[in-house]
Amino acid sequence: MERDVAIIGVGMIPWGRYPDPKNPTAYPERTMPEMAVEAIKRALEDAKISWRQVEAMVAGVYLWVSQQAGVHGILSGTAIANLMGYTGIPIVSVANACATGQSILREAVLAVASGECDIALAVAADKSAFGFFRPQSTDAKADIDYIRFVMCGETNPAYWAMECRRRMYEAGTTEEDLALVKVVTSKPAPHNPYARYQRTFTLEEVLKSPMVCDPLRLLMICSTSDGAAAVVVCEYEKAKKICKKPVYINAVTVGTPSFGDPTVRLTYTSSFKKPGVPTLSESRNAVQRVYKMAGLTPDKIDVIELPDNSSWHYFAYLDCILNLDPGEPEKMLRQGDLDPITGKIPVCPSGGIGAFGEAVVAQGLAQVCELVWQLRGEAGQRQVKKDLRHALAQTYGYAGNNAATILSKGW
Amino acid sequence: MNGEALIKKEKKKVPIVEGLFTWPSDKPALIAARCKKCGAIVFPKAAYCPNPDCEKDPGNMEVIELSRRGKLWSWTIQRYSPPPPFKMEPFKPYAIGLVDLPEGIRVLGMLATTENLRCDMEVELTVGKLYEDGENEYITWMWKPVEDVSKK
Ligand SMILES: [Zn+2]
Repeated sequence: MERDVAIIGVGMIPWGRYPDPKNPTAYPERTMPEMAVEAIKRALEDAKISWRQVEAMVAGVYLWVSQQAGVHGILSGTAIANLMGYTGIPIVSVANACATGQSILREAVLAVASGECDIALAVAADKSAFGFFRPQSTDAKADIDYIRFVMCGETNPAYWAMECRRRMYEAGTTEEDLALVKVVTSKPAPHNPYARYQRTFTLEEVLKSPMVCDPLRLLMICSTSDGAAAVVVCEYEKAKKICKKPVYINAVTVGTPSFGDPTVRLTYTSSFKKPGVPTLSESRNAVQRVYKMAGLTPDKIDVIELPDNSSWHYFAYLDCILNLDPGEPEKMLRQGDLDPITGKIPVCPSGGIGAFGEAVVAQGLAQVCELVWQLRGEAGQRQVKKDLRHALAQTYGYAGNNAATILSKGW
Repeated sequence: MNGEALIKKEKKKVPIVEGLFTWPSDKPALIAARCKKCGAIVFPKAAYCPNPDCEKDPGNMEVIELSRRGKLWSWTIQRYSPPPPFKMEPFKPYAIGLVDLPEGIRVLGMLATTENLRCDMEVELTVGKLYEDGENEYITWMWKPVEDVSKK
């Protein structure tokens, strides 16, 4: 990059439902732009700068626009600026499904790295739809997602379950392994004030939860949530002057699939397979690119935030991130190597998406917030018990959209 | 026409979305497109070859019928009803599978049964009803296990 970039402030609001009738004080009625404003306030306070000092903003576009937010959902950036107060800065709104959070971080970083400005803000808020996600149109000609849904009845967990069953068939993953993911990732959840489910789960509870899509049970699948997060980035030399613990951005990128990948991605009904092209190529492409940009290898990563949308994802993304064969992450989990706090390679010290419920477009930034707190040593009782140098975050890849980020201590 | 006649009359089977498989047919096949230059196949059919190295000329894409038999790569059972626009009346848990066809394409689809499914078993294309009204039954493509003739 032309100029180095660091994170000088992060902020998020607790994940949940806004409003939550059971707890209206903590979870009042909030629109998505209002949730974004709350996250921005916290990030600016953390960075000790004012809104006027922000020179560019990139906003995530809500995925459920047609159901909830209309045009203001698509043009989310200016809808948020309308609440913050217009200052004339460049603002862009970006839709990249689950990868949105780190896609907008990338855009903010590029604005600073290119020299367009010194301080930029990435913000995303989402009120993710309840229950099974569905197509956003009923047009069979224009929307292949509609065809997939009405002709095949394939929900997101159904797709995950098919991948999971094949993994069990080929790599010997057991039902107990799938349950163990929830048990282990929920360990730090009681210590994360931003998590929606601040509790742990036992193996028995997970194995007795209702079957949703065989072999995936309810507690092996994440729920959906409302949430918002914001990250302030700054040119590195300036960041060192105005911030005690700037978090250096080694790399952030977006990954898309390779032609010939056998994965039949959500929203699609087929794939054309080419020999030698791996599955989940959008994830492998993103991860390999951040390693290359950062000049690092998987063994140099000290802590990981990954998208545990289901127990299958947890294992599949570890294959991609650590370059493992299916079956190896399962073994590491059983041995305790992946414990979120005490593991050799702690995974999801935030409690993961299992503890949050996915707020789709904001989730990638929530991962970055957690890694910033971990690197700064501010994660309290969920602070990872090892010396952290490099931290990696990876998002999920709905419909072939993926993103990854590597961060390190910049002080 | 009296009520009795209506009941006896066999309802017309209508694809929920037209043009995805050959119909009416005793041996329905999925309709896809294949690139004449590189052999890449897309289902449903598309105007352009998905190969990044192929020219984007709709004239290269020919409409083909896919093999009716393949191998079940994996499957699941959807235990709860998806929200609209999915429609199945009455709802009952159904299986969904991913099927590898000899042409090198993997295709999604519901399965005609939830029983005795296993990875890599041979399956064949059929159709099945999801719902009906006074006149029609509304159908989609489904995969059904091929009977093991040797065991008969
Ligand atoms: Zn071609």
